[in-house]
Amino acid sequence: MKTSRQIKREAKRLFRSCLVNGMLDEGRTRQVVQRVIDGKRRGGVALLSHIQRLVKLDCARHSAEVESAMPLPADLRERIQAGLTRIYGPGISASFAHNPELIGGMRIKVGSDVYDGSVRARLAALQKGF
Amino acid sequence: MADLLQEIEAQIAGAKATTAKQNVGIIREIGDGVARIEGLDDVMLNEMIDLGHGITGLALNLDETEVGVIILGDYTQLHEEDEVRATGKLLQVPVGKGLLGRVVNTLGEPVDGKGPIKSEVAYPVEKVAPGIIRRSPVRQPVQTGIMAIDAMIPIGRGQRELIIGDRSTGKTTICIDTIISQARLNKEAEAAGDKDYRPLYCIYVSIGQKQSNIAQIITVLEKADAMRYTIVLASPASDSAANQYLAPFAGAAMGEWFMDHGMDALIIYDDLSKHAVAYRQISLVLKRPSGREAYPGDVFYLHSRLLERAARVGEKYGNGSLTALPIIETKAGDVSAYIPTNVISITDGQIYLETDLFYQGVRPAISVGLSVSRVGSAAQLKAMKQVAGQLKGDLAQFREMAAFAQFGSELDPKTQAQIDRGKRIIELFKQPQYSPIPAEVQIAVIGVVQQGYVDDVPVDRVKDFQARLTEFLTTRKTELLRKIAQEKALSEALTAELKAAADQFKQTWK
Repeated sequence: MKTSRQIKREAKRLFRSCLVNGMLDEGRTRQVVQRVIDGKRRGGVALLSHIQRLVKLDCARHSAEVESAMPLPADLRERIQAGLTRIYGPGISASFAHNPELIGGMRIKVGSDVYDGSVRARLAALQKGF
Repeated sequence: MADLLQEIEAQIAGAKATTAKQNVGIIREIGDGVARIEGLDDVMLNEMIDLGHGITGLALNLDETEVGVIILGDYTQLHEEDEVRATGKLLQVPVGKGLLGRVVNTLGEPVDGKGPIKSEVAYPVEKVAPGIIRRSPVRQPVQTGIMAIDAMIPIGRGQRELIIGDRSTGKTTICIDTIISQARLNKEAEAAGDKDYRPLYCIYVSIGQKQSNIAQIITVLEKADAMRYTIVLASPASDSAANQYLAPFAGAAMGEWFMDHGMDALIIYDDLSKHAVAYRQISLVLKRPSGREAYPGDVFYLHSRLLERAARVGEKYGNGSLTALPIIETKAGDVSAYIPTNVISITDGQIYLETDLFYQGVRPAISVGLSVSRVGSAAQLKAMKQVAGQLKGDLAQFREMAAFAQFGSELDPKTQAQIDRGKRIIELFKQPQYSPIPAEVQIAVIGVVQQGYVDDVPVDRVKDFQARLTEFLTTRKTELLRKIAQEKALSEALTAELKAAADQFKQTWK
């Protein structure tokens, strides 16, 4: 019987095999998942959920969510994309969203890193300071 | 009004700073005072995490995909999917003299309702102990006021002395007596304007105790006017395990401030058994592997890093000291259990309290045979060493001979004398609660006993003899006591004077 630690190790190994040049390859990932399902092994569900977690975290690390108070023009979007690629490497993909609650400025979230330059955040910081 | 405007301007100027990178995570699971957080890629070990609603947490488990955070606050306000952020700071507590006389919780927040604490400095809760070069040998005594300890198991400033015993044997009482004795000495020195005397500030850390007990202790300290030299750090049994786990470290941080600034401090950990239990709870909830008695594997390191922070630092580094009196509660007198043996091997000696002695009426119930102070007479006043040096040996011989005495058979005079002297010494060392005896009175009384003046007093009248003798010395021979206190050593002249005083007293004694 496989313990959860062994399953985690196995999931990590399978996840690493999906990487090509340090980047997650969609085709390989699909193959690995299909193999696990076809194999019908015990603990397969736990294995898949671990792999799903690792894939989710990897995707989050390589995708940037840019929220802005006003819709951004195309050249600004390009500049943001270029800046993110410069800091995080070529694999980063940026998605742009419009969030009027920010009042002004923008908020960029890449994985666990958050760059919050919005007016809402600054007001919250002021409030905390007082 | 102008101040308010300036403050607002400063705040706005501060808020205009550039956007910094923050590290965030999402709470995936929360329960039992521990939250599992997904994200927080860049978090450091023991970093403070801002969980929102004014609650902070401490990142203790850094796993591959998640971070285990212990919650220092009301965890009922947190929910799954809440966003949390790393603060980039280690846990700190306010330190300084502003804390004296106050009762605080683990985070340094006041709980006595006497207003906010005035403190400019904050010290980190986890800190590396002073290195080898910084330390200097322990030379100055801690006058506990308890004759049995000051004479036979002396404690020095900078030492760690373990107080170990079963429940209700008087462990906390010894510590409270020490605080009261030190407060008295501090006050006397202040009143006399003595510049050479170094006051000893006390920190009482209460871990997992009943709140009624803590309240009673505070009342006793207030009555003895000892609170103004004392900080009480209360983490009672109703506190979360995380707070109980951090309480001793927070207390050590407060003590280190005194040590770093050339002052002497005494810290009491009451008690470390409950501290180990709280740490065990946190470790098990964080799913760390457990070892003997379900304690985590690093329970030794938990106490060793705490107790190593008590030291005497050298002249070059301020000449301060932090003395630690950890308390351990044993079950059925078993000092060979896991946690007691751990802490015994860490400390510089132990004071062992026995239930049998307690119920025989020997209070403080100190077992002289099993108690030891590894610093010993290096930290004793010379006068005390002169009079009390023989005592431990005398009592050891008495214990050996006491078995014979039970047979009721005829003993040779020398043995009988040893037994008689031993019984009287034991009677002498009985002392009531909360009544510490000044060092010079102790020296005088023990000196009188060693000269043989008590040998013809019946055993059940020895306490009476001692009380009358103390009264005699404090009222009629204040000059002699003052000289002993000043010179701290018994010269020929002083010994002769003491003998003369004893003769005078003995004449009036019936």
